[in-house]
Amino acid sequence: MKLVVAVKQIKILGDEVEFTADGRDVDPDFLDRALNEWDACATEEALQLRERLGDCEVVVVTVGDDESEGALRRCLAMGADRAIRVDARTLDPITTARALAGAVMGESPDLVLCGVQSADSVQGATGVALAQLLGLPRVAVVNRVEWSGSGPATVQRELEGGLVDVVEVDTPAVLTIQTGINQPRYANLRAIKQAEQQEITVVPAADEGSPAFTVRRMFAPPRGEGATMLDGSPAEVAQSILDIVRERLA
Amino acid sequence: MSVLVVAEHLQGRVRDVTYELITAARELGGPVVVAVIGSDPGSLDVNRTGVDEIVHVRVEQEEFESDVYQHALEALVNERRPRAVLLGFTVNSMGFAPAVATKFGLGLATDVFALALEGASVVATRAFYGSKVHGEVEFVPDEPVVLLLRPTAWAPSLDAGQATTTEHELAPIVSRARHKEFTEAPKGDVDITTADFLLSIGRGIGEQESIPQFEELAEKLGATLSVSRPIVDAGWMPSSRQVGQSGKTVKAKVYLALGISGAVQHLAGMKASDTIIAVNTDPEAAIFGVAHYGAVADLFDVAEELAKIA
Amino acid sequence: MARDPKHDVLFEPIQLGPKTMKNRFYQIPHCNGFGSEKPLSQAYFRAMKAEGGYGACCTEYCSISPESDDTHRMSARLWDEGDIQNLSIMCDMLHEHGALAAAELWYGGPHAPCMESRCVPRAPSQIPSDFEHLTYPKEMDKDDIRDVQKMYVDAAIRAREAGFDIVYVYGSHSYLPQQFLTPYYNKRTDEYGGSFENRARFWRETIEQVREAVGDDCAIAVRMSTDMFIGEAGTQLERDCLPFVEMVDEIVDVWDINVSGISEWGEDATPSRFYESGRQLPWQAAVTAVAKKPVLGVGRWTNPDMMADAINSGKLDIIATCRPSISDPFLPQKIDEGRLDDIRECIGCNICISRWEIGGPPLICTQNATAGEEYRRGWHPERFTTAENADNDVLVVGAGPAGMECAMILGKRGMRRVHLVEAQDDMGGIMRWIPQLPGLGEWARVVNYRKIQLDKLKNVEFIPNTRLDAEGVKTYGAEIVIVATGAYWAKDGLNGCSHDTIPGADASLAHVLTPEQIMVDGKSVPGNKVVIIDNDGYFMGVSLAEKLASEGKHVTLMTHLGHIAPYMHFTLEAPNQHRKLHSLGVEIVTYHLPTKIEAGGVTATHVFDVEGHEHTWDTDATVLVTQRRSDEALYRELKDSVGREGLEAEGVEALYRIGDCEAPRLTADVIFSGHRLAREIDTENPEEPLPFIRERRVPDAETVKRELSRIKEQRAREAVPA
Repeated sequence: MKLVVAVKQIKILGDEVEFTADGRDVDPDFLDRALNEWDACATEEALQLRERLGDCEVVVVTVGDDESEGALRRCLAMGADRAIRVDARTLDPITTARALAGAVMGESPDLVLCGVQSADSVQGATGVALAQLLGLPRVAVVNRVEWSGSGPATVQRELEGGLVDVVEVDTPAVLTIQTGINQPRYANLRAIKQAEQQEITVVPAADEGSPAFTVRRMFAPPRGEGATMLDGSPAEVAQSILDIVRERLA
Repeated sequence: MSVLVVAEHLQGRVRDVTYELITAARELGGPVVVAVIGSDPGSLDVNRTGVDEIVHVRVEQEEFESDVYQHALEALVNERRPRAVLLGFTVNSMGFAPAVATKFGLGLATDVFALALEGASVVATRAFYGSKVHGEVEFVPDEPVVLLLRPTAWAPSLDAGQATTTEHELAPIVSRARHKEFTEAPKGDVDITTADFLLSIGRGIGEQESIPQFEELAEKLGATLSVSRPIVDAGWMPSSRQVGQSGKTVKAKVYLALGISGAVQHLAGMKASDTIIAVNTDPEAAIFGVAHYGAVADLFDVAEELAKIA
Repeated sequence: MARDPKHDVLFEPIQLGPKTMKNRFYQIPHCNGFGSEKPLSQAYFRAMKAEGGYGACCTEYCSISPESDDTHRMSARLWDEGDIQNLSIMCDMLHEHGALAAAELWYGGPHAPCMESRCVPRAPSQIPSDFEHLTYPKEMDKDDIRDVQKMYVDAAIRAREAGFDIVYVYGSHSYLPQQFLTPYYNKRTDEYGGSFENRARFWRETIEQVREAVGDDCAIAVRMSTDMFIGEAGTQLERDCLPFVEMVDEIVDVWDINVSGISEWGEDATPSRFYESGRQLPWQAAVTAVAKKPVLGVGRWTNPDMMADAINSGKLDIIATCRPSISDPFLPQKIDEGRLDDIRECIGCNICISRWEIGGPPLICTQNATAGEEYRRGWHPERFTTAENADNDVLVVGAGPAGMECAMILGKRGMRRVHLVEAQDDMGGIMRWIPQLPGLGEWARVVNYRKIQLDKLKNVEFIPNTRLDAEGVKTYGAEIVIVATGAYWAKDGLNGCSHDTIPGADASLAHVLTPEQIMVDGKSVPGNKVVIIDNDGYFMGVSLAEKLASEGKHVTLMTHLGHIAPYMHFTLEAPNQHRKLHSLGVEIVTYHLPTKIEAGGVTATHVFDVEGHEHTWDTDATVLVTQRRSDEALYRELKDSVGREGLEAEGVEALYRIGDCEAPRLTADVIFSGHRLAREIDTENPEEPLPFIRERRVPDAETVKRELSRIKEQRAREAVPA
């Protein structure tokens, strides 16, 4: 039994930012890196499935440069069995999915888990794009997985507003995992050190194909002009507030 | 060239984001076509000013299933070759729209909050790096572009329209992920980081005895109660409710702050929220610097009034 | 990061007489235990604040004569050439950083017991001090008045020579000039007593004389209490203070304004338990409205918005701090750089003040372990050297104050990886629940600050919800293990008085409780009557008494000591705490030690009753605040059972423990213990603190030889010939 988890090393921007000369990206000096929180949950879900199902290998895959191996090593320290890096730098979810597809397909997975979205790009698309390339059924925004190891899995989708959609999905399948499904386990120092020593398979990327989009310009969000002040009596203020709330929550 | 809107519905009701998509579609120019996919599309009203055509795609399934919507959309895209396909950036859309774009090599962008048409090209604006920067993105020319729009970024089109209706026949679909039933999420510990609407109180409330009043108000408003640090330090509420650098970082749709002045550690924990409304008696309170709406008023007076009308 | 423009006003320079202060941050005169006799400790301590951006730093109260000797408490002194030389070091260092130096010239009168000098203090009237009850002053005649005024002038001249830019004629806290102004101290019937003009005369004349002597070169500062809160006998704002300001404003360069006298000066140095920041603003603002010269004042200021507001609203011209400058000497710089979340905020516990009150020890600070250690241990609050053994991983077990501090400093010293592992779901340990006792909310800043700092450190990871046993620690993979598992309140009544348990004291029973059981476990306190047995002497007993009484219980607070919570006298919290307990109807029983605890009552004997008569107090519940015990089980197992070999076999090269699990102590001291270990983690034997510098005189060999030969000569002279 094999579970493949696609993970991303995200880039975190602090409060200060400068852009590259061509204005199409952020200067990398201002970026920190970390394992994407959703992918930590996806990895944890795979590890818990492994514990429940037994006789199961968990393989983590990422697309990125060698600095992104930090994310893989974090997953290995958590307990993943193997790690693969597709050596490529991709800027949109479809190109990323294409880069992942070869490596994932090569593992003949029984289940593929991804995070719903990455904290930096917030596309929320890579997992389902990957499923399309693999020709697999998929469910996005999953907050519960029940599976005996064969046949369809019963999963739950977390809809807006707290409603839960119970879905039966044929396997093999791709599931994009929502945070809150579990508490990713910590790795102790021994596991972290062992993960440092473990070998990571590096494979080249397949052809990129056309991107989902290209960035023509990145810029700092315009500073708001300050709050729009609501005037009037407390009753009037309250009414204004309620109107805004209702509109925004639609 | 037309703009194709995919209506979103749940349990027999059209979701509000659909009407926002219609507004956005109108901005792009060209005929606006709204597709309704479901077992009884006629029962779902999407006829609004600006909609030229409503397409009913009748399928077996009443509720969303990702393969069903994918097939339906693919058929419509092939048939109509719209300039753009607009969907809400919602759980449903995330479940199938990227697959359509991938299969046909179309452009794709999600969480889009601004659109422009430059000549024949669509330019979309979305956030990057955790919303700290914005970016304008362009797409493959001459292919439809699939866009998932941020809910509430456009105003909804509310006036009745005069669209024509067509029926689109679809071959039976093998649905590999099938809706079984709906349930409610179990109520666990309060997780303020996932709440859409936070009512947040600070030291302006004065005493512990005031807290029940705000708990009741939160419930009336359908909000989750959160607090700033001094309330937790005083032991009046548990730290799971604390918004701030030493508490939790939240990104609510609506963050209503009553009696919070806005210490830098608190602002760091909530300033990414979509709509921030602050009420404070001090016009110089730092929170007004990050709020979208503010009122210099007594928070108890405002709270009392809100409780009457909520 | 950049300064918030709202705070720009705090960085505007201001003129004080002939001197320019570069910004509005002023370190008000305050004690540190160093005086003139530990000159380098003094200089380093003050200079640290100047480095941190303060525009002016002051000495503590600075004695102008051996008649003003506060021993056992430590003041500075400007009596002679040696003092000039010693204090000039402080002035030079301050000037290096662009800060002004101020000397708070002080004559204490009868409040200074002269236990070293054995002089007799002088005062307007002969009444024993309300602060030092055994000290009587000599009643001053005109010659005495001239003499003492000359002492001020001579001291001012010495201060100028030492390099001070600002010279005070200090009266606040009921010291000599204010004693003349105040009917409570001044019963004179000559021209120095009676009417306002007469009572003001001494102070006014002294200011005039000091101004004449040094006023061209130094700014003249006057520190005055606006109200002593003792009614008409004390100084009053409208009757005495404001007229004095109007009378004397022209010859003063800067006003330092506060409230209170000496016997309850916690009304000035307000504990956070009772007062919020800015408590004195109404009085300070009243003076600012009347004075044309700049006015400064304290308020336990930690929030730059409040500081800017005080100035913008015309209530103060200069923000003065004492305790916030101790907890963070770099407050001004952090505001300047927009790094507000790096500010280590004062928690208002007054531990710093308690050391001065006790008399003798150098100050310490709960939030800032480096306070007082700038010279003697060479610690800088913002600078850390990379550890020589940084290429190691560290496991810190327990994220209470000691563990948090240790992990934070180890992180700042560049240890490769630090894992801070905690059994509970969040950091804080004992400081999670102590701030929930009445009034102690600001104490949570201890946790909040460290949480934010730890979050910023990329080499430190915080792991909650994980209780490690010896096996887990052993196999964790760290080369260095630091145990910080804290302490707990004794469940069996073990106490420092009888050195034994109390029969019937068993916290597993429903009617016997410990503080943690109440505050953390939520164990219900049965019934209506509760007896708290307090052998501790600091705040736990009284805080629980206040809490339970506020919840409607009838509380009896029983201690074997003569006072409850004697340490709170040193933190200036005692008077108001007593008032609180009194208003809540708490029954206080002193000098009693329990002999047994039962479900319906507590039986105790008076500690001085040789016949040991027993009295029983009816009660439904008994709370044991008898003593704390170290939670050392994990450490003992690692050290004794697993042993050095067992640890080394798993790669653990070093095992240490810090904080309460070593020995229960003040939070200031547990944070210190975590800090010290981290600072010294790369010494040869980190478990043993490195020697610290003691500023003391060590006579050279020549001097010793000379003293010995004098004895020899003396004996030779006195030898009786045969």
